[in-house]
Amino acid sequence: MSFQVMMQQLGGGLLRSIEIFALTLLFSLPLGLLVSFGRMSKNRVIRSIVWIYISVMRGTPLMLQLLAVYFGPFYIGGLKLGATWRFTAIIIAFSVNYAAYFAEIYRSGIESMPPGQYEAARVLGYSKGSTFFRIIFPQVVKRILPSVTNEVITLVKDTSLAFSLAYAEMFTIAKQIAAKETSFMPFLAAALFYYVFNAIVAFGMERIEKAMNYYT
Amino acid sequence: MMKKVLAGVLCTAMAVSALGMVSFADETEAGSAGLATDGKFVVGFDAEYPPYGYMDDNGDYTGFDLELAGAVCDLEGWELVARPIDWDSKDMELESGNIDCIWNGFTMNGREDSYTFSVPYVDNSQVIVVADDSGIESLSDLEGKVVGVQADSAALALLEEDGDQADLGATFGELQQFGDYNTAFAELQAGSLDAVAIDVGVANYQTAGREGYSILDESLNSEQYAVGFKKGNDVLCETINSDLAVLLENGTFDEIAAKYEEMGIPSDMLCLAESLGVKAETEAE
Amino acid sequence: MALLEMNHIRKSFGGLEVIRDISLKVDKGEVLSIIGPSGSGKSTMLRCATMLETIDAGEIWYMGEKVAWVEPDGRKVYPKGEQLKKVHSCFGLVFQNFNLFPHYSVLKNIVDPVVHNQKRSKAEATQEAMELLARMGLADKADAYPCQLSGGQCQRVAIARALALNPQVLFFDEPTSALDPELTGEVLKVIRSLADLHIAMVIVTHEMNFAREISDHVIFMDKGVIAVEGSAEEVFKAENERMRAFFGKLNH
Repeated sequence: MSFQVMMQQLGGGLLRSIEIFALTLLFSLPLGLLVSFGRMSKNRVIRSIVWIYISVMRGTPLMLQLLAVYFGPFYIGGLKLGATWRFTAIIIAFSVNYAAYFAEIYRSGIESMPPGQYEAARVLGYSKGSTFFRIIFPQVVKRILPSVTNEVITLVKDTSLAFSLAYAEMFTIAKQIAAKETSFMPFLAAALFYYVFNAIVAFGMERIEKAMNYYT
Repeated sequence: MMKKVLAGVLCTAMAVSALGMVSFADETEAGSAGLATDGKFVVGFDAEYPPYGYMDDNGDYTGFDLELAGAVCDLEGWELVARPIDWDSKDMELESGNIDCIWNGFTMNGREDSYTFSVPYVDNSQVIVVADDSGIESLSDLEGKVVGVQADSAALALLEEDGDQADLGATFGELQQFGDYNTAFAELQAGSLDAVAIDVGVANYQTAGREGYSILDESLNSEQYAVGFKKGNDVLCETINSDLAVLLENGTFDEIAAKYEEMGIPSDMLCLAESLGVKAETEAE
Repeated sequence: MALLEMNHIRKSFGGLEVIRDISLKVDKGEVLSIIGPSGSGKSTMLRCATMLETIDAGEIWYMGEKVAWVEPDGRKVYPKGEQLKKVHSCFGLVFQNFNLFPHYSVLKNIVDPVVHNQKRSKAEATQEAMELLARMGLADKADAYPCQLSGGQCQRVAIARALALNPQVLFFDEPTSALDPELTGEVLKVIRSLADLHIAMVIVTHEMNFAREISDHVIFMDKGVIAVEGSAEEVFKAENERMRAFFGKLNH
């Protein structure tokens, strides 16, 4: 296999990795916020269910969760899996898993807000919703950004776990080329791709952090 | 196995959420000819298993087995879908109907109870690969050595307790499982493995692509490759069997085999003619 | 008609009764100071008036309307929705710790509640906010962020923010306690200037001279009850043992 074809193949894999990455963030960031509300709910039943969910997501390997989501509908529901289900299952498993981690980050951020901010908003006439989205949440975002950056960078590397469903993301492709070429070169190239991908992500997050540095 | 159990446990925990969010393909059970989806022949294979299934120089999936599957599709007017799978998950993929068959240097011996198999088409053997300078020349030299074997492989079944070569396996210092052959050969080179137990076709391919390895003359066994179908899917199995007979008759089988002769599948390994002949004889009785 | 009336208020925290049957009244344009030792319940009284705490007994009236009370069976009745909005628009509160919104500029801190909660035009709100800032001597800080200001400046912004909503009565919860001594002067000066606007004010404070000078009415609280009350002159001349002890401590 020529170097060019290898790069093309890995590039295609990289695109599919980026797809997993972007869709996972798109779904897990809002879902995580919702989950964090459940975690802080006054209703004990909701709180307990969410607690169990978070503890299962954080306490079991993502690779098993991928298998469970992918094969679950067949083994439990007896449903036939469609051709598009593989990718959908990957996105669901990743989003649901990352939402659990994001939820705990949101919670720590929300709980660290001084009560005075809520009280000031209340006497100034802000509704509960406005208080959260105009006053509390923007400040929470700034507080949790470093932790979120950590998770996002982990996500870049975790996309490689999709290989357990043989989805042709970059790591799966690298393994296949490596087998064909009986060489480790493709892994080196893949590592470089991951590194560059992550460097770009880290740079982007740093820019966002800087943009929020206008206040302390 | 452990993986399957754990996945099952997790399934129960997550089923509710998963089920709510899915749009499933057509629910009708197996279409005509035993295919999960009409007109599509979905072949599950390990894309890290040259020369039977792998990514070619153009980045397309090919291999001896996939080309045979392609020829079958040409006969039937089906579309071939070559679906790379994680080898550890092959049973789940087959059972759930994600793939119609496993066609990938798949050893039938010892697995007859779990799958419905086509006629065998390749005589395989499990062999031992060692580094040239290891000083290991026969199976008895493996006593106390660290031997690598792919997880969930035929070689592993052979050497494990209850396997046909369990006695030999018991003499090893350690039987080390690995995920893919690339890693295993790197370990062999680095000295953390003394030998690798492996299918002969793959061994031929791997040693041809690297310097300094050789295959022991004594093999562990002889066995056959066949196409594996979900247990009980006789309709599809019969279709493939008769197609293979046609491919043998019109020379397509030998044409394809010729391409892979240099890649680790010498013609003396082919056994389709023999097994079809044997079969014809038994039917005649 | 009194702007605010609180009748027979009681409030406990975990079995400890910090307010025991207190009643008070604030008339239009009146300046009321609440003084007393720490833990006497002054701030709690203020938080009850602004509905940051719920009362355990008694009733609260704003502008001649009963807005919050406790039923004989112990059920607490508090305003909701539109009515709550109306009640909130009656008063403003200045906190000890300012509680400015750090992610908003000084100007936006003042303008946003007006535009977002009172639905007034942004242009009008901005113009009014600039006038208020000028009044506070902070016209040049409109675009600054709270973290760039001194404590005294922050507190003046907080006062402007409260005033922008045109409250009938403004509450101050120890407005200078979090400030360095050299910064208290500028804040007291601003509050003094508000008295000239004839805005009603309720001030919880430790600044005795200030309270004496600015107040129409003074309440001295001790251990959850009103120990002495009356005009500034009367209270500060009152012969009360506990008050003398309190002032004695202050003078140390």
